[in-house]
Amino acid sequence: MKNNSNKITLIYVLILMFVAVVGHKLFANYFLESATESPLEYSYLKDILYIIFSGILLKIILYQNEMRNKSVFEKLQLTNIEIKESNERYDIVAKATSDTIWDWKMEDDSFIWNKGIQGVFGYKKEDVGKTSKWWFDRIHPEDSLKMSVKLYSFLEQKTEKWQDEYRFQCADGSYKYVFDRGFLVKDADGKSIRMIGAIQDVTKQKEEEQRLRLLETVITQSKDAVMITDIDTSENEIPNIIFVNSAFTDMTGYSANEVIGKSPAMFFGKRSDILEYDKLKTAVQQYKECFVETIFYKKNGKEFWVNFSMIPVTNKDGEHTHWVSIQRDVTEEKEKEKEREQLIRELTQNNKDLKQFSYITSHNLRAPLSNLTGLLNLIDDINIEDPELKEIISGFSKSTHLLNETINDLVKVIIIKDNPSIQKEKVLIKEVFENVFNQLSFLISVHKPILKIDLEDVSILEINKSYLESIFLNLLTNAIKYRAPIRQLKVTIATKVENDNLIITFKDNGIGIDLEKNKDKIFGLYQRFHNYPDSKGLGLYLVKSQVESMNGTISVSSVVGKGTTFTIVFKYT
Amino acid sequence: MLDKILCIDDDPITLMLCRKVVEKVEFAKEIITVNNGEEAIHYFDRLFEEKKGNGEVAYPKLVLLDLNMPVMDGWEFLESYITKDYQNVFDSTRFIVLSSSIDPYDINRSKTYPVIGFLSKPVTKEMLENLKTQFP
Repeated sequence: MKNNSNKITLIYVLILMFVAVVGHKLFANYFLESATESPLEYSYLKDILYIIFSGILLKIILYQNEMRNKSVFEKLQLTNIEIKESNERYDIVAKATSDTIWDWKMEDDSFIWNKGIQGVFGYKKEDVGKTSKWWFDRIHPEDSLKMSVKLYSFLEQKTEKWQDEYRFQCADGSYKYVFDRGFLVKDADGKSIRMIGAIQDVTKQKEEEQRLRLLETVITQSKDAVMITDIDTSENEIPNIIFVNSAFTDMTGYSANEVIGKSPAMFFGKRSDILEYDKLKTAVQQYKECFVETIFYKKNGKEFWVNFSMIPVTNKDGEHTHWVSIQRDVTEEKEKEKEREQLIRELTQNNKDLKQFSYITSHNLRAPLSNLTGLLNLIDDINIEDPELKEIISGFSKSTHLLNETINDLVKVIIIKDNPSIQKEKVLIKEVFENVFNQLSFLISVHKPILKIDLEDVSILEINKSYLESIFLNLLTNAIKYRAPIRQLKVTIATKVENDNLIITFKDNGIGIDLEKNKDKIFGLYQRFHNYPDSKGLGLYLVKSQVESMNGTISVSSVVGKGTTFTIVFKYT
Repeated sequence: MLDKILCIDDDPITLMLCRKVVEKVEFAKEIITVNNGEEAIHYFDRLFEEKKGNGEVAYPKLVLLDLNMPVMDGWEFLESYITKDYQNVFDSTRFIVLSSSIDPYDINRSKTYPVIGFLSKPVTKEMLENLKTQFP
């Protein structure tokens, strides 16, 4: 530059010198061919001096100009570096905060995004729009109205700062919760010309916030009372309350302000269970969860039963920080439980009394009855001549024996019902049948039924022998009693083992039972299906009781006029 | 035929019946009847005194015992009898419970005493004929 100005000055002087010399020469030749030398020489010298003088002047002007340019250049250079640095800084800050920056020039509606729009929201560079519409279009429809109202009112008021939360659509169509802050730039007239904003992705915080809010509703809206205490036991044995929910207030009548800072011991009272209090105290000392049930006292002094849990909670480092207690008013349940217990007690007592009553009754009936039987036995040996007396005594004897049988059956029922766990022994079914046939030998000899007996060899049962005997006796007696008079009685008795079960079937060709009509009654007490004089309506009830007392089942199928089949199933192992 | 048997029952009809049947089957020469456990204990107390005096006494070889009785029932009688060690004093005396009780508990309980049988009322000829074979 410096050389340049020197060069320009030198060339300027030389050109002027040349012009001056050539001019002089021409002037001397045309006008002063013969003139004297001296004035010419003088003028020539004067020109040169002028030239040199103007050369120096030029040089000074040039130099000053040069100086000014230089300082402007240096300034520009400095500004340039500053801009570069600030640009870098801005990029780094944007990166560090992961903010997405936008720049909106309102006059021509040009909208510029930084790289965040690609990194955070996944847009490709070419997809990012260049107007504010593109921005607005990507705001969640549910948020856009509220957001634009807020934004335009801000623009109207011309305040400097604006911030809002809304959902912004990503490239994949999903939405992110963002926190957007903007600054307005105004021109000299105070007119808004530009707005610059920074968008922060707060999806995670928002989701966490929503999750926490949801969790919080569990506590605040729960019907169970929730109480949180600290862990400081220096003041009270049970640490002080720091939070209670509204259900707690509903339950106890105490508002949060009235209990916070106080120990839950305040709810215990005269009729509270001291052992439960000690249990709670010990649990607190040992940082162990604890469940107590006791009487608490409301603010108005009323008692109520509370079911009270106390659970230690820890922070993420595993340090014990609080106790959470969930409480429920169980007064109603407690009262119901009491009622139930009372009812059970009464029923047990009633049952006991009834049982006692039935024993005594049966004993008191049996005692005179056995006397009657004994006396009648004695009469048997006496020869009675009077035919009328003989008839009377015979009727007397029959009635007595029937009464005796009835009472004996009833007594058996009482014993079965009272003895759920009966003695069992290994029983050979064949033997039991032989016993039964012996007992019924008279009946069998009179009616001569065809007996078809098909017993599997493995017919040993772990069972009560006398019950089994009684069952067979009853069924066989029934078969004989209710035979069809028009045909010879045929009884088929079979046993077989099937799937760990022993199945015993009793089939006769007797008069049958109308099961359509009597389905529910057949095994009932005092149910009679035929008008037979010696039927008491007890036999099948007794059979069913005995079968069931040995964990068996009995079923029946019957066709009127054809016959009846009883099927008994016992567990066979 | 036994020389002497004892019948303990509060019911006079039962005692009468007992006496009749015993006579009928010629079960025993002498039948003594008492109305409850206490009278029976007194009876044995007297026998015991006599035995101490004479050294020898005729005592019943068989006792038919009812359970439900006023004053002292059959169980209380047995307790008292054992407490007094009479089972060793009258060492050939046997007991048969003769009751109309159907309580299974009674039947099981009788097994804990020196009782040789639990029979259901009424006393029958067959019953006594059968018993006869058990005594010489």
